[in-house]
Amino acid sequence: MPLKKVGELSVPSTLDHLADVDQFTEGLFRNLALPREILDDVAISISEAVNNAMVHGNKLDPARKVLIRFYVCSRYLRLVVRDQGTGFQPETVPDPRQEQNLLKTSGRGLLIMRHLMDRVTFQPRRGGMQIVMDKYCPQDCYGGTERNCA
Amino acid sequence: MRVETREQDSVLILKIHGKMMGGPEATTFQETIKQHVAEGYRKFIFDLGEVDWMNSSGLGSLIGGLTTIKNAGGELKLAAVTEKIHSLFLITKLVTIFESYDTVDEALNSFPAGK
Repeated sequence: MPLKKVGELSVPSTLDHLADVDQFTEGLFRNLALPREILDDVAISISEAVNNAMVHGNKLDPARKVLIRFYVCSRYLRLVVRDQGTGFQPETVPDPRQEQNLLKTSGRGLLIMRHLMDRVTFQPRRGGMQIVMDKYCPQDCYGGTERNCA
Repeated sequence: MRVETREQDSVLILKIHGKMMGGPEATTFQETIKQHVAEGYRKFIFDLGEVDWMNSSGLGSLIGGLTTIKNAGGELKLAAVTEKIHSLFLITKLVTIFESYDTVDEALNSFPAGK
């Protein structure tokens, strides 16, 4: 089964919309045959990417949107989150595990996404930054036996 | 996210339910902690046994709570930390700053008696 877009959501950059994103994600999960642990990893990672896009990308400007696209094939899930900001260099984000950063209340999102997802890439785009995250399914994402994502 | 609060032996126990994902609920949570500290409470337990999942904003809420309580000369202990949350504590190294117990009773017993 080829990689197929199964959902798309666009939300204004205000934090009260994080709950809408979570509801959207949970709705998409109903069609998948995956352990709750895997789904939680994906839900947490989406929340991290959207939060970053709203706060750091779009500077909480409600006029700027965050676009979330969700793709599935039999072998993996792909999440794409795009903001309308000016982009950033992921390698310049301070390491939250350093002693001097441990008591900071933010700055752990990238670390958590990289830990929970199997692949995380940042793609600067005209008019925004895009983050693409893949999570492999331990078995067929749909519960069948097809393992081909060609 | 929903928070149930009860007091036992002058310790305030906050049982957190649902998803700790940030947003307006996180702001309310911080205000609640500040209010309890202003009321004079100094011993706190956050019971995390009913937390479905937590992201970095949720971790930030715990750290914000710890800072508020410690700055007032108080103590915070965590109880019933799930395996998933513990794994986040490990990768972020927050395991080094939080005092955690398997149960609320163990956390309660860890406070010095009579103080």
